[in-house]
Amino acid sequence: MRQLNWLRLISGLSLALLVIPVFLLLYAGFGPLKDPMGYSYQVFLSVELTLISSAIAAAVSVVLFTPLAYYFARNKNSIGETLSDIPASIPHPIVGVAILVIASPLTPFGKFLISIGINLFDSILGLIIALTIVSAPIYVKSMQPFFQSMNIAHENYALGLGASKFRTFISVVLPNSGRGILSALLISMSRAMSEFGSIAIVAYYVLQQPFYGVNPAPVLIFQYYTYYGLGAAVTASAVMILVSIAMMILLRLVKH
Amino acid sequence: MIEAEVKKKLGSFTLEARVSDDNFVCLTGKNGSGKTTLLNLIGGILTPDEGHITLNSKTITNLPIETRRVSIITPDSCIPHLNVDDHMVWGAKNKGLKIEHDYITEIKTSLGIEFDGKVRKLSLGMRERVALATSLISKPELMLVDEALSNIDNRRDFIDAFKSLAAKAKIDVIFTTQYPEDSSEADHHYQLESGKSTRLF
Repeated sequence: MRQLNWLRLISGLSLALLVIPVFLLLYAGFGPLKDPMGYSYQVFLSVELTLISSAIAAAVSVVLFTPLAYYFARNKNSIGETLSDIPASIPHPIVGVAILVIASPLTPFGKFLISIGINLFDSILGLIIALTIVSAPIYVKSMQPFFQSMNIAHENYALGLGASKFRTFISVVLPNSGRGILSALLISMSRAMSEFGSIAIVAYYVLQQPFYGVNPAPVLIFQYYTYYGLGAAVTASAVMILVSIAMMILLRLVKH
Repeated sequence: MIEAEVKKKLGSFTLEARVSDDNFVCLTGKNGSGKTTLLNLIGGILTPDEGHITLNSKTITNLPIETRRVSIITPDSCIPHLNVDDHMVWGAKNKGLKIEHDYITEIKTSLGIEFDGKVRKLSLGMRERVALATSLISKPELMLVDEALSNIDNRRDFIDAFKSLAAKAKIDVIFTTQYPEDSSEADHHYQLESGKSTRLF
């Protein structure tokens, strides 16, 4: 008699807990609760805005935070690592409030921004900044183990050949980190796409072309639920889930 | 001339070793005797708890790796994404050294580098040859070769050629080996046992 694989059974049940609500939502959104509003042109624009702003935020994370991830991988710095986790640990509306305060006339920096015509409230720039702040810790946490797994012998060899630590990072580490960076970028982008709390404060809608009056997708779904009820929200959610699943498949393809 | 008198405690293992010689130095010892630890201390990967290290009369004990003019070569040492020719001049270019094409050809011929392609796709033995050649061309004052001769065929001929090239460039070498017979190629031989060094000749 075949023995029951308890580990597989428990894992399957845990996976089901995560997955069943998502697939029920897909079924409801394209089935019994289908509402044409859920796949209207407005939803398409919202998804487009979310995809583009999340991609830019992820790209900004790559440029600004790859050196930090490498530094943490090669230097034990508990305080630094804890500080870098803060934006991911605090309630995200606080991130939104912080951005608005910093960019407001209440602070010297805010006055300076306003004087040079930069506004972060209800703007694409504000949206991207909020998404970058909340998704950058995920990027750093994804890249750090990748860098830690890289063979340090390559770096020590380069340093022994007289290369500076910066030159070693640029010329030895980065050229061999493409797959890791792409994988972490997609994870960070997925995180940014699901963000709600901070962008509901900073950019509930965007008042700039080409997305004038468009809500980011998570905000639109919330708005549909608040104004129109479950049907429109569920269908729009199902559309967003399909986009997210496509991202996950892309991530798997990159990893393998 | 390398003068290293160092003490380092790592967990329950304590290294207390002394190396004071130049030219071609062989370091032997069983697994776990402290060979790699000693080379890592001289190379700057580890910092000694006590002691000092001088290279050609310059104290390098607490200098970062990149300023010691000490090259560290292990079986994993390479810059994987470069091709062979770019790899070989990479270190020299970093230092702004002008290297004659004839010198590169001499090194390639002497060390049996008759192949090209991306270094990451080479066999272990080929990679070790390229890593050693790259280090020679970059003209360090000392090369630390930690088991990086282990995958090279025709090892005796290779060691002869390598020793000759290092001597010509006035580069001191400390190499570790699992093969006791390799010590006959050396000018000096140290043996490590349980973290303690003994100079045999």
